[in-house]
Amino acid sequence: MTAVTQSARLKRSIAWERVYPYLSILPALLVIALFTIYPFAYAIRTSLFRYILTQPKSHPFVGLRNFIEVIQSYYFANSLRVTAMYTVAAVVSVIVIGFLIALLLNTRMRTAGVLRVLVLLPWSVPAVVSGLLWKWILNSDFGALNGVLYTLGFIKTYIPFLADPNLAKVSIILAHVWKEAPLAAIFFLAGLQLIPNELYEAARMDGGSAWNTLRYVTLPLLRPTLLVVTVYETMVAILTFDEIYVMTGGGPANATALISWFAYAEIFKSLNLGHGLALSIIIALITLVLIILYLRVLRPEESME
Amino acid sequence: MKGKLSHSLLVLCSLVTVAAVMVGCGGAPTQAPAVPTQAPAVPTQAPAGATQPPTVPTQVPAAGAINLKFVVWSYGLDIIQDNIKNFQAANPGVTVALQDFSWLDYHDTIVGRFTANTPTDVLYGSDHWLQEWASAGWLEPLDTHFPVVTDYVKDMAPYAAQGVTYNGHVYGLPYYADTLIFVYNQDQLQKAGFDHPPATWEELTAQAKVIKAKGICNYPMIMAFSQQEGASIEAFTAMVYSRAPSPGSMFDAQNNPTFNQAGGPMAQTVDWLHNALQVDKILDPGSLTTAEIDQVKSMQAGAHTFTVFPSYNLAELNKPASSDYAGKFKMALMPGSSHATEGYVRFYALSSQAVARGPDVLNAAWKFLEYFGGKTNGQYVVVKRWAVQNGLGFGQLPLWSDADVQKAFNAWGDTSLLQQQSKLAWVKEGLTPFWGTWDVFTRAELQKAYLGQETTAAALNAMEAKWKELKSQ
Repeated sequence: MTAVTQSARLKRSIAWERVYPYLSILPALLVIALFTIYPFAYAIRTSLFRYILTQPKSHPFVGLRNFIEVIQSYYFANSLRVTAMYTVAAVVSVIVIGFLIALLLNTRMRTAGVLRVLVLLPWSVPAVVSGLLWKWILNSDFGALNGVLYTLGFIKTYIPFLADPNLAKVSIILAHVWKEAPLAAIFFLAGLQLIPNELYEAARMDGGSAWNTLRYVTLPLLRPTLLVVTVYETMVAILTFDEIYVMTGGGPANATALISWFAYAEIFKSLNLGHGLALSIIIALITLVLIILYLRVLRPEESME
Repeated sequence: MKGKLSHSLLVLCSLVTVAAVMVGCGGAPTQAPAVPTQAPAVPTQAPAGATQPPTVPTQVPAAGAINLKFVVWSYGLDIIQDNIKNFQAANPGVTVALQDFSWLDYHDTIVGRFTANTPTDVLYGSDHWLQEWASAGWLEPLDTHFPVVTDYVKDMAPYAAQGVTYNGHVYGLPYYADTLIFVYNQDQLQKAGFDHPPATWEELTAQAKVIKAKGICNYPMIMAFSQQEGASIEAFTAMVYSRAPSPGSMFDAQNNPTFNQAGGPMAQTVDWLHNALQVDKILDPGSLTTAEIDQVKSMQAGAHTFTVFPSYNLAELNKPASSDYAGKFKMALMPGSSHATEGYVRFYALSSQAVARGPDVLNAAWKFLEYFGGKTNGQYVVVKRWAVQNGLGFGQLPLWSDADVQKAFNAWGDTSLLQQQSKLAWVKEGLTPFWGTWDVFTRAELQKAYLGQETTAAALNAMEAKWKELKSQ
């Protein structure tokens, strides 16, 4: 083999080594571009145009007007308040209940293994099915919850859980927590099982109480898990739609109409695609800001150093 | 090396992103991104009277056969399929593929279908969506292609004829047309000591209080006022009309709001509903989350005495062996000074896609429309079948004289009373391309007024403001 041939082969080999990593990730990148970047870019573009579905021949460029109109709309401020209340209540409840369940499952009780599987059942139920289940349980004429409370003598007449604005809010939070707490429990359980037993033994030897052990050993070490759960559950809560659609349709009197509901309503009820997409982008930005805040507040101590 | 690799990766990612953005942003505005045509997975609930919908058989058109896509909401699917079978037998060379969606999701689903250009040739439409869909160019006027359709209009009840007409053109043939009627449980009324139904809303309140006091019903009245229920506005409008001396109590001839007059029929109706819910507690609070099917089931269970709904539901209530109260449900003229009610029409419509497919498809579609909504051998065969088998109302006036229809209606109702109420039926006012958007807004506002979260005047003024905003767009 001549020196020239060897040199050319070497150059091709080096070039291939340089190009190969990019080629290998290109298919995945294209899929991501097609199903994530492209739709997002299209949504941003469409949000800058007036796009009413029943006026298909007229789509003028309006700049940020859609965003302004949405923010100034009758529903924006109220639905933000409802969403904030719902999100705080749902996320706190999911974290607390999920954590308590994880503590229980982390014990050595006999049925812990079986319970770890069963506890995930609510989470595995599709959101629409979950919403329907709760809609029937909370029904004001023949709901199971009313039946039980009435039979036990706690109530004299059936309660319209989904027809009262305040009770409807509580109801959708209840349905949400029932579905999401199991996943949080599994996350926390995984985090708890990563904590070395030696730390607990050391705490016991130092005379630490159960509460102090929890406060100074368990919770700090669960911080990364807490960050993940908080970020994930916040996103899920803000973007909740299926359960609202099925259980209340945003009612009564828009009491359960989250901001995500109005993104749907703008497109499918008001037939205003520009408004709907503008609102969706605003929701995405709000979510992004919250995630950044969480990362700053809850980031693990190792990354602070 | 590492730094160079990172830099190269960043450049590659940026190039891909820019390419995607350019693809997304480039070119003239085109159609909206495809939206899911399948409605959210809400179990399909057929309104009262329908049997369990069987699986739709897959139609494989013969070579040269024209296949029509027919989209409906889920009601009486077995009857529809049988009608399709009969149509196909009478029209070799034309096959029909049926697709159904829940009534609660139908409007949104059709909007998605037309936006994404999902094949749809003939479909169910409704008077309150006609302007919206016709102005978008999704529906085709029938009279421009088939002038004979105007002969059918002469047979229609006024509210049906008005409901299928937009900008002077006829867009459909009635699938069925109906009126909202007032229904009461005669057994419960008699148990309370009353020998006649209420003639006014005030009398209803008085009777309901007695029924409640005697423990016959906890909430003597129920309405289907769920925010998701597309027909809730119809029941509410019927209540408004029953107090109005003449048409025009909601909108004038130029579609300007007239409904927010203090003390007017709509204000009185909202006040009455608020008092019934919050003060007298004779209206089931669950009404705010009740859809039509639940309303019928609750009445069947004897949980309530009074309600307002489309007349075909009375057929379901009085179906033999359907409940302990079967046969005991009666109809009365709408309480109120005028006893007027709202009449509406659901119709077979032709999509502009069918026209674009060519004259053969258009002719096949007309044959379909005429078979289902028009006459076959001089008879309204399909419309009559719906009336006799399921008690569906009709917009074709000659059917009132049909002996079979009279016999069928008298089995569960009172034909003469139904006809009398039908003559007092007015079409929905203010039907415009944005009426649907306004209707969705009003549902929440009315609920706020019923709950006392805002005053009647505030709710009606908000509705007027929204109307004006939509009109100006």
